[in-house]
Amino acid sequence: MSEPAISIQHVTKVFPIPFKRERVVAVDDLSLTVEPGQVYGLLGPNGSGKSTTMKIVLGLVTPTAGKTEIFGCDSTRVASREQVGFLPENPYFYKFLTGFETLQFFGKLCGLRAKKRDERARELLALVGLEGAADRRIGGYSKGMLQRIGLAQALVQEPRLLVLDEPTAGVDPAGSREIRDLILGFKARGITVLLCSHLLEQVQEICDRVGILHRGKLISEGRLTDLISIENQTELILENASPELLAEIAATTAASGARLVGQRKPQQNLERYFLDVTGGNQ
Amino acid sequence: MKARVLGIAIILVFGAVRLPFEVRLEKEQRALHYHGAKLDLGMRQRLSQMGFVAALSGFRAVVATVLHIEAYTSWQRVEWGRLKLTYDTICALEPRNMQSWDMAAWHMAYNASVAARENKEQPRLALRLKAEREYFKLGEDFLLRGIENNPDHALLFERLATIYRDKFKDHEKASRYYEEAARRPDAMQYVHRFAVYELAKVPGREREAYERLKALYEKGEEERLPTLLRSLGELEEKLDVPKARRLYSPPPQKP
Amino acid sequence: MSRITAIASNTLLELVRQKVFYFMLLFAAIAIGVAFVASGMPFAEQFQVLKDAALGATSIFSFLLVTLATAMILPKEIEDRTLYTVLAKPVSRLEYLLGKLLGVYLLLFVAMLLMSVLFFVALFAREQLVIAATLKDYGPGPDGEAAVAAVKAAAFNWNLVPAILIIFTKSAVCAALTLMLSSFATSWIFTVMISVVIYIIGHVQPIAREAWLAQSGVNPSSVMKLFLGFTSLVFPDFQLFNIVDEIVVGNAVPGWMFGQVFALGLGYVFIYTLVGYIFFSNREL
Ligand SMILES: Nc1ncnc2c1ncn2[C@@H]1O[C@H](COP(=O)(O)OP(=O)(O)OP(=O)(O)O)[C@@H](O)[C@H]1O
Ligand SMILES: [Mg+2]
Repeated sequence: MSEPAISIQHVTKVFPIPFKRERVVAVDDLSLTVEPGQVYGLLGPNGSGKSTTMKIVLGLVTPTAGKTEIFGCDSTRVASREQVGFLPENPYFYKFLTGFETLQFFGKLCGLRAKKRDERARELLALVGLEGAADRRIGGYSKGMLQRIGLAQALVQEPRLLVLDEPTAGVDPAGSREIRDLILGFKARGITVLLCSHLLEQVQEICDRVGILHRGKLISEGRLTDLISIENQTELILENASPELLAEIAATTAASGARLVGQRKPQQNLERYFLDVTGGNQ
Repeated sequence: MKARVLGIAIILVFGAVRLPFEVRLEKEQRALHYHGAKLDLGMRQRLSQMGFVAALSGFRAVVATVLHIEAYTSWQRVEWGRLKLTYDTICALEPRNMQSWDMAAWHMAYNASVAARENKEQPRLALRLKAEREYFKLGEDFLLRGIENNPDHALLFERLATIYRDKFKDHEKASRYYEEAARRPDAMQYVHRFAVYELAKVPGREREAYERLKALYEKGEEERLPTLLRSLGELEEKLDVPKARRLYSPPPQKP
Repeated sequence: MSRITAIASNTLLELVRQKVFYFMLLFAAIAIGVAFVASGMPFAEQFQVLKDAALGATSIFSFLLVTLATAMILPKEIEDRTLYTVLAKPVSRLEYLLGKLLGVYLLLFVAMLLMSVLFFVALFAREQLVIAATLKDYGPGPDGEAAVAAVKAAAFNWNLVPAILIIFTKSAVCAALTLMLSSFATSWIFTVMISVVIYIIGHVQPIAREAWLAQSGVNPSSVMKLFLGFTSLVFPDFQLFNIVDEIVVGNAVPGWMFGQVFALGLGYVFIYTLVGYIFFSNREL
């Protein structure tokens, strides 16, 4: 049980551009590990290789170099996908199927028995809040509904690992919060999650660990709390402190040679840190 | 890159493996007289471009259907020349369809010929008879070509014999083709008798015909049909067979 | 296996819900139209024309249906990205491909079943009409019976069933061929075009093969010979499947011949699927 949920070892992916001599390096010598039970956030500007990395992990894209494993099983093997649920970015499903049939179909692909499939489909539709649309064709679903059915589909075989590519894209704020709560629920149940998102506040709320990709390279990685703490500063959060006490602390601080940088209601923002390390969103 | 090479290699190897099998299969099919249609230049001239491509790509039956309908229309409009040309094409397209050869010959020898003989626009009888005979010949010609393509079946031999018998009154040829028909496994039960009846009408071969009729007679009850008995009687008369040895006794004359 | 059938039935469902079967109306219209036009002809020819038209239309429709349906599958799934969600489940690419092919075969089976039923019903209806008319002409007695027997012999024939099976086999080969082409093609139009071209060349391939085998020894290094050899080895021989033409005109096709053609078709399907799988498993999605 000590083996990592996901292990990515020196993976490089180069896409040739047809009819041109140029090539796109989508992922560049990337190595990272996701431990079981973690919620890992993959961040990065558009085109930095997040989706490509996820597809490599799932064996949908063959890496040019390096290898990836899921629970110790090589991604190129079909068996590696037994324990994974994947939500692709902008998911599309068979338009001619209803929501319920879609879940049935994916249940079949995962080898669920007929009775179990039925139960599971109903359960998941309720979980993602689509009971009302269960018998409507997917072709008529809105973007947020697609995202929800995508999440349900990823969960169909009760996987130990979830790979979610922008799970909240296109979902309304309330729905977005619901999805966040769902992911926190998975975390509580010990399910490993690898996700990427541009909504940094959310990432901050749910991720244990983040990695930041820039032009295919992992430029920063670590525990979220470590990354966003400012090393030479300490934040004291006081409750019911009187103005006298605060004045006293300020005086003591000045006397000891330290400097009181500021005094405000506590707040930290991942976004700032993110923009710093990537040099802005070019 | 490697995959492409491997894929192409597999296709080529498969090509080489199936080659002898397919060549043998083709030979076997030819032995069964399949693949009669020759899509040659003549055919190209007769069919439109679309029709030719369709015929080429295995939709021969569809083209033939359209032509069958065209032929039917020509018949309704009594356009014999066009009917003949259409049937030429149909038969070239489906040389293994005996129905088409049969129909073509029937139209020529039985319908067009009658129409020619009764042509109101041609006052001279001799010319009308000549035209009639030409249609007989066209019918004969269709059947001869049909036989070339379907030598394994009795039908067209029988039809040709019938045209010789009824139209050309050439009993020798009629007898010969009934004989041929009788040799095919799918011949009608009567054709072998027809061959002998016709032989009986050929001057100079009465003796031979008589022997064969006798042999048939002796085979048993199922061969002793009225026509056979009558033919036998006629020959016995002609050949002056002594009364005692005659097989045929004419029914008693009613007073 | 259950994954293959899941994909296959899903593919069939997709085609059904896309109302592919509406083309049957066209087929029915053709069958009825031909039966109507032919009704004035002598009965033997009438049945002949009906059989020609029905089996010819079955051939065309099943070829078009299979080629178009198969050519659309991969490009559409890649464009809609439905492929990702399926392959992200524990489904191998081979299973996926086999499932799709099987789905097309199910479609083909249902379509051909419908067409055959329509065809046999039309044939039966005309047969009954002709028999009724014949009986009226002849009245009761052995002559009438013989005439009815002749009508029956010209109409339905059990040989028509193998004919339909052979059309199925040929279409199945075309489906596998199209799937192989689409496993590396980038657009469905390209796939359909190449498929049609191969189909046509497949019918003249025996001519090239004969020429190639005949000129062995003569000028062995000529470009022409190379070309003919290439054509013979790469392209399928569809002419061998044309024993259908024999059956339509009422000739019996021996069982062993039928068996060999069927086996040949199976061989083609196997090889094309194998090569299609090799291309597809190395394809960048
Ligand atoms: N199939 C492909 N063929 C060619 N280039 C590709 C392909 N897929 C991705 N790329 C390129 O690889 C790079 C990384 O793309 P990727 O989709 O992984 O980015 P991303 O981080 O997911 O971006 P976003 O935030 O917009 O989703 C991009 O430059 C993209 O153009
Ligand atoms: Mg992305």
